[in-house]
Amino acid sequence: MAASRGEVLQGTLDLIVLKTLDALGPLHGYGIAMRIKQVSEDLLKLNQGTLYPALLRLEQRGWISSKWGVSENNRKAKYYSLTRAGRKQLAAEAASWERMSALMSRLLQGAEGA
Amino acid sequence: MGGFRTIAARLRGLFRKRRLEEDLDAELRQHLELLAQENIRRGMSPEEARHAAKREFGGVEQTKEHYRDQRGLPILDGLLQDIRFGLRMLGKRPGPTFVVVLTLAIGIGANTAIFTAVHSVLLQSLPFPKADRLAIIWSILGSEGRAPASGPELETLRQRSRLFEDLGAIWAQSGVLMGEGEPEQVRLGMVTANFLGILGTNPQLGRFFERGEQGSGSPRVMIISDGLWRRRFGADPQWIGQTVRLNGQPVTIVGVMPPGFRIIFPEGSSVPPEMDAYVPFRSNLASDPADQSYLRVTGRLRAGVSIAQAQQEMDTLAGQIRAEYNTFADPPLSLQVVPLQADVVRNIRPALLALFGGAGLVLLIACVNVANLLLVRANERTLEMALRTAMGAGRGRLIRQLLTESVLVSCCGAVAALGFGWCALRLVLAMQPKEMDRFSAIQMNPPVFAFTFAIAIAAGVLFGLAPAFGARKLDLARSLKDTRQTGTRSGSRQRNLLVISEVALGFVLLIGAGLMLRTFVRLLQVNPGFDATNVLTFRISVASVKYQTDDAAVQFFRKLKENLSRMPGVEAVGVISHLPFDDTLPNWYGFYWCEGASKHEQNTTMADFRSSLPGYFKSMGVTFLSGRDFDDHDVAENLHLAIIDDTVAQEAWLGQDAVGKLVNIENGNFVRDTAQVIGVVKHLQYHTLTDQVRGQIYLLYPQAIRTHMAVTLKSSANTQMLVPLVRQQVAGLDKDLPIYHVQPMADYVESARRQARFVTMLAGIMGGIALLLACIGIYAVTMYSVLQRMREIGVRTALGAAPRQLFALVLRQSMFPIALGLLAGFVLSLLLTPFLSSLLFGVRPTDITTFGVSALILSTAGLIACLLPARRATRVDPMIALRYE
Repeated sequence: MAASRGEVLQGTLDLIVLKTLDALGPLHGYGIAMRIKQVSEDLLKLNQGTLYPALLRLEQRGWISSKWGVSENNRKAKYYSLTRAGRKQLAAEAASWERMSALMSRLLQGAEGA
Repeated sequence: MGGFRTIAARLRGLFRKRRLEEDLDAELRQHLELLAQENIRRGMSPEEARHAAKREFGGVEQTKEHYRDQRGLPILDGLLQDIRFGLRMLGKRPGPTFVVVLTLAIGIGANTAIFTAVHSVLLQSLPFPKADRLAIIWSILGSEGRAPASGPELETLRQRSRLFEDLGAIWAQSGVLMGEGEPEQVRLGMVTANFLGILGTNPQLGRFFERGEQGSGSPRVMIISDGLWRRRFGADPQWIGQTVRLNGQPVTIVGVMPPGFRIIFPEGSSVPPEMDAYVPFRSNLASDPADQSYLRVTGRLRAGVSIAQAQQEMDTLAGQIRAEYNTFADPPLSLQVVPLQADVVRNIRPALLALFGGAGLVLLIACVNVANLLLVRANERTLEMALRTAMGAGRGRLIRQLLTESVLVSCCGAVAALGFGWCALRLVLAMQPKEMDRFSAIQMNPPVFAFTFAIAIAAGVLFGLAPAFGARKLDLARSLKDTRQTGTRSGSRQRNLLVISEVALGFVLLIGAGLMLRTFVRLLQVNPGFDATNVLTFRISVASVKYQTDDAAVQFFRKLKENLSRMPGVEAVGVISHLPFDDTLPNWYGFYWCEGASKHEQNTTMADFRSSLPGYFKSMGVTFLSGRDFDDHDVAENLHLAIIDDTVAQEAWLGQDAVGKLVNIENGNFVRDTAQVIGVVKHLQYHTLTDQVRGQIYLLYPQAIRTHMAVTLKSSANTQMLVPLVRQQVAGLDKDLPIYHVQPMADYVESARRQARFVTMLAGIMGGIALLLACIGIYAVTMYSVLQRMREIGVRTALGAAPRQLFALVLRQSMFPIALGLLAGFVLSLLLTPFLSSLLFGVRPTDITTFGVSALILSTAGLIACLLPARRATRVDPMIALRYE
């Protein structure tokens, strides 16, 4: 495979962002990046910059919305939150991801067993 | 769902750009600050912390670029940006931009002009409602070509055809309109009552003819053209229902056709487009003699019926007619159905298509030139491109930018091309051949504009591709380091390829133009069988009541001839029924045979019949091969005499003296008659300069009375001076008799050469442009490669290369692609010139002289274009060249 370890597929990043917002509520970009870093325990090498086009994409699809607010360091910051459509999308994608991962693990285990 | 919403969001992203940009900036800055603070908290120095934050974040500018791509519609967004940037780049270098736009204006403009003609003539349907359902039906008798039909034929077809809605016919005549001012010669369309209805254009006033208004004893009615109505009747609607006198008979005006209405029939059908008036036939067509063919039949197909189906039906009907009429059994009659549109354009089509192809080649050459200029520019812009790549622009983005710039240039070219094309179109129209006269409105219209911009954009992409592909292969690190790039191998190969294609295309065009030029020269050399020098002609018609008796007509023409002969400077006067190359009157032709021929031999060969008085041959300088001309004694005695041409003499009496033989002919009233041959003359080209159609038989006027005659006056001096005197003489005999078509015989000959002249002129202009563009291209490429190799040349000079050697080196290297181009052009021409063969005369499509001379011209021009750059190479100062870096 050409994709090296730790690179993120676009769809996966979308799912991670949606899930993060679902779990933590409204967050700014930095917060989302930190959360991803923390959860993935540095397994996921993410150029944090790539997060922003992804956020814009999700917003354009109507899955998240953004609002300017004030951050921890008292600066203007843009907060993203999940919309109702986003919640639905998250459920659907999570389910499909689970199906896929179950399938993949069965397949890989089966391959080992053979 | 998401798709639509995304597009809507992206469209919004196109606006309020500054605000969005500020937001993005703030957001990213905030992110970096928070990252840095975190790093400081972990114990880094502020400096270190900022760097680490940037590392972790990734490229800020790349992120922004991706973000922008996601935010707007990148294509549209980028396009606007590219256009703005492109305009700036163009404005920065007005000189080269001007050259490029001018080159394109010529290339595209040539196409615009020719396409305007192609569109109006070939693509647009004829100006009749549902014109695609109109068809012409020609009668073909044995080996004779397309001929009109007779009354019984038309009536049979009308009654029995199931696939045609209706069939009708027209016969072009002329008449004299009297009352209300001067008598006026009018072009008269004798028609079946349904004819105008079949074409489908409604009268602007009044009505079509009705069924009962055709045939003997029907009321005399007339529909007039808009032109006649305005000219003669002051555009007064009150004239509908009024009676005027036509050929001495009272006729009621029942309708006026709309302005611009023309009968669009094919060249050679003897149906001129402009008619002044239409009157229904007054004879009973069904009971006409079956061998009187004069009806030009047209029909309207039922919806959904194909030409092939109609042809099948006509084949069946032709079989029935052959069985029912002896006349049509031998030689056998067949019927040919042709779509009206296709038939009308069949002569001009190959010429227009060839010119269109030529214009296409000119555009290609222009594109190659522009591509070359852009390639040079692209080389100069390597650094810029490398910088932009480093700043995060993708390859696709760069190619798009380059293509946008080239399309932008070509659109500027297109605007200029519309102006240039407009001028070129004036030229085309000024020279347009007869076949194009039939199409009233050849003008630029929205489809032409659309075409112009479409080819401009296509051209922009085409010539933009070369530099864009150069950009694709950008080696970033090298380009950034080595700011003074020397010519790359692939660059020079690319430029050689441009020269090769330019020379090849130019060669094809030069050969095409050369072939047309040779054709035209051949046409100028054709001897039509007569001498048109100082011959004045005019037409006159004795259709009015005054000349109802044959004798009155004969006496009139004898007297006229006598009076005209007495005019000063007049050497000979002739009276003839048909002038060469005058197709405004229907041709008169039919079968002839040697008296005493068996029934089987009788209807085999046709000749053109002409009615004349003594003096015609002298006035036209026609050579007598044997025998003599008619004389006044023959006329007075009313003798049945004929003069034949060498074609007929060979067909009928090969190896014998034809003089004294008896020939069976058809007289002026379609009645068979026998005449004695008293002379044999040289064949005259009557229809075209190039084709020998039929032999000619001249009959003495008293035996072959015609109402429409032409007069030929041979004078010793300028014929134009005679015109007022001629008018005086005619008026002196009969002040009610108009003369018309007063023009030198040379004009008729000229009209026969018009199509060839038209194609030759335009092909020549295209060939010239192609040659010029090719030279400019070769010059630019060679000069550029010399400038790029300054250093190399400097080294060579320093090492002792003589200027002569350098000169030869440059010439050798630049003549090589030219030679390859000639080779490619040669092959291409062999493939393409056969398409011209229908336009050529007296020269083969692969004429070796034309090929040779074109190659010589092109290589000489190429050599000249290389001379200047080669001289430049000999003047390189090694010191300066080496310090160039």
